Amino acid sequence: MTKAYLALIAIDVRLAMRQRAVIFFTYLFPLVFFFIFASVFGAGSNPGRAAYVVTMSITLGILGNGFFGAGIRAIQEREMNILRRYKVTPITPVPLLVGSMVTGWLVFMPLIVLVLTLAHTAYHMPWPHHLGSLFLFVSLGLIAFRSMGLVIASVANSMQEGTILVQLCYLPMMFLSGATVPIEFFGRFVQQVAKFVPASHLVKAIRAILLEQQDIFQNFREVGALILAAIVGLVLSTKLFRWEKEEKIQTSAKLWIAAIILPFLALGAWDVYAGKSLITAPVFGSAPKRNLTGLIYHARVLVDGKVINPGGVLLQNGKVLKVYEGQPPATEWMRAQPIDASGKTVVISNGQMVDPSELFGQ
Amino acid sequence: MSTDAAISVNGLKKSYGPVEAVKGIDFEVFEGEVFGLLGPNGAGKTTTVEILEGLRPRTGGEARVLGFDPERQTRQLKDRIGVCLQATNLPEKIKVQEALELFASFYTRHGSPEQLLKRLQLWEKRDAFYSTLSGGQKQRLAIGLALINDPQLLFLDEPTTGLDPQIRLEMHLLIEELRAEKRTVVLTTHYIEEAERLCNRVAVIDEGKIVAMGTPTELQQKSRGQSLIQVLCAQPLSKVQLPQWPGASKSSLNPEGRTLTVYSNRPADTLFEIMRWLDQKGIPLEDVHLKRPTLEDVFVELTGKHLRD
Repeated sequence: MTKAYLALIAIDVRLAMRQRAVIFFTYLFPLVFFFIFASVFGAGSNPGRAAYVVTMSITLGILGNGFFGAGIRAIQEREMNILRRYKVTPITPVPLLVGSMVTGWLVFMPLIVLVLTLAHTAYHMPWPHHLGSLFLFVSLGLIAFRSMGLVIASVANSMQEGTILVQLCYLPMMFLSGATVPIEFFGRFVQQVAKFVPASHLVKAIRAILLEQQDIFQNFREVGALILAAIVGLVLSTKLFRWEKEEKIQTSAKLWIAAIILPFLALGAWDVYAGKSLITAPVFGSAPKRNLTGLIYHARVLVDGKVINPGGVLLQNGKVLKVYEGQPPATEWMRAQPIDASGKTVVISNGQMVDPSELFGQ
Repeated sequence: MSTDAAISVNGLKKSYGPVEAVKGIDFEVFEGEVFGLLGPNGAGKTTTVEILEGLRPRTGGEARVLGFDPERQTRQLKDRIGVCLQATNLPEKIKVQEALELFASFYTRHGSPEQLLKRLQLWEKRDAFYSTLSGGQKQRLAIGLALINDPQLLFLDEPTTGLDPQIRLEMHLLIEELRAEKRTVVLTTHYIEEAERLCNRVAVIDEGKIVAMGTPTELQQKSRGQSLIQVLCAQPLSKVQLPQWPGASKSSLNPEGRTLTVYSNRPADTLFEIMRWLDQKGIPLEDVHLKRPTLEDVFVELTGKHLRD
């Protein structure tokens, strides 16, 4: 049966590459959003924001890949009587589901490499410290959300039903998770609601890996929820798998979708109870106060009669910690709030900034 | 044709809720024969075949296919049979050869996709996308997929439905080749001529029951329907009193007096007597036509319905 798995994966990858819709929704669509977000949120002026834009693009990619790439495609194959042709052969649903999962992963991973490279080269985003953690977490996310798509395909009796169910899951996840609108922009109540949205935890952990240099173990709760969702989803999609459109499933079966969302609901409930925020490292919002750590970059630094142009300054509690010649090192971007000096002069005397109000606007 | 049964079915039943689709049928299919299941839409033939293919569970009765119980030994059975279903599809962008290679990977043993492509006259189309194939080419590929594991038993479920006459003829030739190779074929159809031409034996199925079974000739002979004898004479027979020929039930002449039409349930006897009578009268013949009852006539007689109802 190994040859069946390999043959299914090989043909699925080839078919995916031959579909214009797959190319568009897997690569072009997230890339278009990447550049739009980068422009709207000022990724060029702040590598931290560039990292957030990467988070948004990856999350949107995972959602699209899961709900449309796995879910809608599985319904299409059943509606078009393609699965019926497989039914008369000795294979079970497992190779088909595994094939779909592996293909989704193989097709999606180049996008991660692409957006990371673009963010690094175009917007100076430093490479993540824990690249392996990022790939592992994104892979887990992809498997969990593809499982979600496959469960929807299993409980939908028609393409119409499937489209409604997908949109009911996709739209809240798109708009309430931070995948399109940063969580910082939401009011307090919506931020609480967002904690129950599965994709919010995807955004939170990817953001933590990219912005705060965290590894996968520091995000064990999100990892646990994804693993649970993936297991529940794969078991359910195997058990509820239907080869033919004529095989209808009871309306009550749609409640199984709740089962796969359950780990995220539990995580959300815990976050609300423990008062944990989805925002651990603010990227957006008001200008930093003097007592917070800040990283001034793209500045003309005048220190002890010496001019450094371009230069950078790391501040903590209003005191100058370090002066950099040229661009500050990548790791510092994540430890401090980046402040674009836009070529203005920063004067440092006795370890203090002289007249910082020009930069901080206060 | 062997007398060993490739399929044996006893009291097979299938219900969908309160609806009984198959009402306790019995039949055997022998190795190497083409066995036809003939019936109108909704008669229960596809349900019967899908139970035998291991695609649906039965409600009652017994079934053995190649020695396997289709409900309990489904995977072993599917590995050994070939199936060409009604209304199936493949992904639009899969190439013909890729499809055969993919399906070959599902079986423990398989034939050569290249040889099949040549045999099915699809070699030129091996790199064509499925969506670009004509209806006939798609159907030939469907048969190719059914043959990829070199099965001794094939189920062909209405393989020519919806195809134009030329392509249907191509499919008939292909099925005749399969018969010549001594493969066992179960063919469901609602085309009379298909069953008459291709099947060694036919079971007529209606409303979930087998109403008649035998070779097409046996079924025709069982019919109460009468044969039609038409004799075209060289001279008119007008003003002649027609005798009562043996077996004949009705005799008539056309207005011109040259065409004699006789209905008979013993056509051989009747025809012999007509020939003798005409010879005695010294009337030369131009043509003789004998039309036996068709399977369609048999079907109408048994069920009160036409096959395309």
